[in-house]
Amino acid sequence: MRDLMFVEAAREGLAEEMARDPRIFVIGEGIGARGGNFNTTTGLFERYGPMRLRDAPIAERGFTALCTGAAAAGARPVVDFMFIDFLSDAFGDLFNQTAKLQWMSGGRIKMPIVLRGCVGVWPGNGAHHSGNYYPFFVHIPGFRVVVPTTPADAKGLLKTALRCDDPVLFLEHKGVLTLRGPVPDGEHLVPFGQAAVRRSGKDLTIFAIAFMVHRALEAAEILAQEGIEAEVIDPRTLAPLDIETVLASVHKTGRLLVVDEDFAPCGMAAEVAVQVMERGFDDLDAPVRRLTGLPVPAPYSPALFEPVTPGAMAIALAARELLAE
Amino acid sequence: MPFEVLMPRLGWNMEEGSLGEWLKKPGDYVVAGEPLFTVEGDKALQEVEALESGVLYIPPDAPAPGELVAVGTRLAYLLGPGESPPTSAESPSATAGFAATPPLVASSDAAPEPARPATREPAISPRARRIARELNVDWRQLRGSGRSGRIVERDVRRAAARVSPLAQRLAADLAVDVEELAARAPGKRIERADVVAAAAAAEAAPPAARQPLSPVRRLIAERMLTSAQTTAAVTLTTEADATELVRLRKQLKADGQEPVPSYNDLLVRLVAQALLEHPDLNARLDGDVIVRPTTVDIGLAVDTERGLLAPVLRDVANKTVPQIARESARLIERARAGQVSADELSGGTFTITNLGMYEIDAFTPIIHLPECAILGVGRIVPKQVVVDAEREQVAIRHMVFLSLTFDHRLVDGAPAARFLQRVKTFVEHPYLWLVG
Repeated sequence: MRDLMFVEAAREGLAEEMARDPRIFVIGEGIGARGGNFNTTTGLFERYGPMRLRDAPIAERGFTALCTGAAAAGARPVVDFMFIDFLSDAFGDLFNQTAKLQWMSGGRIKMPIVLRGCVGVWPGNGAHHSGNYYPFFVHIPGFRVVVPTTPADAKGLLKTALRCDDPVLFLEHKGVLTLRGPVPDGEHLVPFGQAAVRRSGKDLTIFAIAFMVHRALEAAEILAQEGIEAEVIDPRTLAPLDIETVLASVHKTGRLLVVDEDFAPCGMAAEVAVQVMERGFDDLDAPVRRLTGLPVPAPYSPALFEPVTPGAMAIALAARELLAE
Repeated sequence: MPFEVLMPRLGWNMEEGSLGEWLKKPGDYVVAGEPLFTVEGDKALQEVEALESGVLYIPPDAPAPGELVAVGTRLAYLLGPGESPPTSAESPSATAGFAATPPLVASSDAAPEPARPATREPAISPRARRIARELNVDWRQLRGSGRSGRIVERDVRRAAARVSPLAQRLAADLAVDVEELAARAPGKRIERADVVAAAAAAEAAPPAARQPLSPVRRLIAERMLTSAQTTAAVTLTTEADATELVRLRKQLKADGQEPVPSYNDLLVRLVAQALLEHPDLNARLDGDVIVRPTTVDIGLAVDTERGLLAPVLRDVANKTVPQIARESARLIERARAGQVSADELSGGTFTITNLGMYEIDAFTPIIHLPECAILGVGRIVPKQVVVDAEREQVAIRHMVFLSLTFDHRLVDGAPAARFLQRVKTFVEHPYLWLVG
C-alpha cells in the first residue's frame, strides 16, 4: 500500500494498461511532451512516444470522431478532453455513432473508447470549465459513466475503463485531483456498478456524487458531534448505478439525502430519488431530499464558489431538516 | 347564478358568530330586505336581512342553527328563477380572513376550493406504516412527531414499546385513549388489564360535561378577566335604612302606576341624581384621558338564559320614574328574549346590579369596563336597629346593603365614599332627590 495523489494513481493505472495492451493510445491537447494540463500523461510521452501520446489541434469533433473510427477498427483510444466542457463540440458523433455502433452492428463492432476530462465547479474556473454533464451520458443507452473520488478508485476504475468494450466517460472532479490516499500495490481493479459505503451510520443515508462525497464526509463529522450518525454512499459509477447498496442503506436508516453539485432538474439526484421511491417506498420514513448546485452557469468569481455549490454546513443543515421531517 | 348567504360581521371585533335561527324555511321565496336569519354575535341577537331575492336553499353541509362559525362562512344560497342548487364541490366556502365588512350576500364567482374531508386519517410515512403493520400497532390512534404531524417510525416504535398489541386492539374496541393512558403512567407498558380497568373506570364515572363557550359566555369571560386584571378595584359597603323607599314604592303602587316602578327603577333614578352631584364616578378612562360624559346612562345587570347582559337606560337624569319604569321593563324583556341589540348593550356610564332577590346582602361586583364604578344592591330586609342610642330605643326598619366597586385609578376613596354616602342619603330620604 502506498500513499499517492489522485492524479498519480490514475496515471499509474493508465501506464500499466498501456504497457499491458499496445492497442491503447491517448489523444488530446497538450498531452504529449507537455504531459497534459492536469498531468494526466506526465512521463508517458518519454516511454511510449508520439504515436501513442498524440497531441491534437483544437478540434474536438475531429479527433473524437477519429477515435470512434479507431475503436471500431480495433484500437482502444483514450480521448483526453482536459475539461469535459470541450466534449460538447463532439456531442453529435458521440451520441449518434459512438454510443450506437455496437447496437446497430448487432454487437460485431466493439466501442472500447475512454472519454476523460475534468468536471465540476471550482473557484475561478468560470462558466466554460465547470460543467458536470454526467446526466446527459447516463441518459443515453451505451455509455458507462465513472466518477472516481479516491486515488485507489482513480487507478482501479481507470484500469477497468481501459479494459471495457463500451464507451466510458471517466470524469475527474477538480476537487479530488490533488487528494492523497492509500493505493494497493500490484494489480488493482475496481469493478463498475459497486458503490462504496464511505461511512456507516444508522440515522440517515447521504448519497453523494464525485467531490460531494468529501463534502458529505465533512458534514457527517459535524453531525456526529451532535449525535447524528450519517451513512455516506459513494456510487463510484453512475452508469451502471448500484441502487441496491442505496436501498439497503435506506432500509436501515429510513431517510435519504442526495447531494449533487450538478443542477437539480432531470439530474442524477432526481434519478436516485425516484429509484428509491419506486423500490424502497415502504422503507422511507420521510420524503427523499435533494441538495444540489444552484442552476446557473458557474460564476468566475471565487467568492461565489461556496454559494453555488453545496458545502459541508449546507449538507449538515439539510440532514437535520430531513431528520425533523 | 346562485347567491351565497354568508355569516356577516356585525361588529369590528366579530370573528365568528352563532347562527341563531332561520326566519324563512328552505324553499321559501325571499324578497331582498326581508329578515332571513338571526345571528348571535357580540352579545346581541340580530336579525339579518336578505340582500337579494330568491328561493332559499340550505345545503346539507351548511352550519346548523346554534353552530359557531367564522365570519364569511357560507350558510345558504338564494336561487334565482330556474337555477338549481350548486353541488358542494363548486361551493367556495369562504374563510375567516375577511377584510372589512363583507356583503351579506355575495355572488359565488370565487374559484372553487377543493373540499378537504373534515376528518382525515393522520399522515404517516410509508416506513412507519410498514413497521406499524409488522408490530401490530394501530397507528390511527397515534400522534405524529414528524413535520406537520406526520407519524414516523419513532412514533410507531414508541407506541409499540408502550402499549402491547392486544391492549391496542382492545383500546380501539373499548374507545379508550391509550395515548392518555400512557401519558398518565410514563415509562410503564400499557397491557390488556390497564385498558380494561380504564374502560371500567370510564363507565363508572361519566366524563365531566364539556361544552364549547358560547359567544356570549366567551365575551363575558374576556371582559370580566380584563376588568379584573386592569382595574384597581376597591369595594365600599354601607348599610342604608330603606324604610322610606319601601314606603314610597307602596304609595306608588297604591296610586295605580302602571307599571309599578321596581326598586331598581327607583335606585336608577336616585343613583343618577347622586352621579350628577358626583361626576367623578360618572366617568371612564380612555387611554390617558378621563372622560366625563354629560349624560347619565345606567346599565342594569340582567340575568338571562344566555348569560349576564347589561342593557343601558339612556339619560336617566332627565327622565321621570314612570318613564324609567316603562323603558326598563321593555329592555329587560328584550334582553331575556335575546332580542336586545348591540347598541342597547353599550355606552353606559355606570351600572347597577341587584342580587337582593337571591337573599344576598353584600358583594363585590366587577366593574363593567370602560365604566368607572358599579353599585351592588343587596336585599331589602326588616331588621331590629338602634334608632336612638340615648333613649336605648330600637325599631324594626327595612335595611339594605349597598356595595360600591370603583376603579381607584380614576377616583380616590374619599370621593367614592362621599358618593356612596349620598346614595345612602337618597335611599333613606327619597324626597331629597325627588326635589333635586
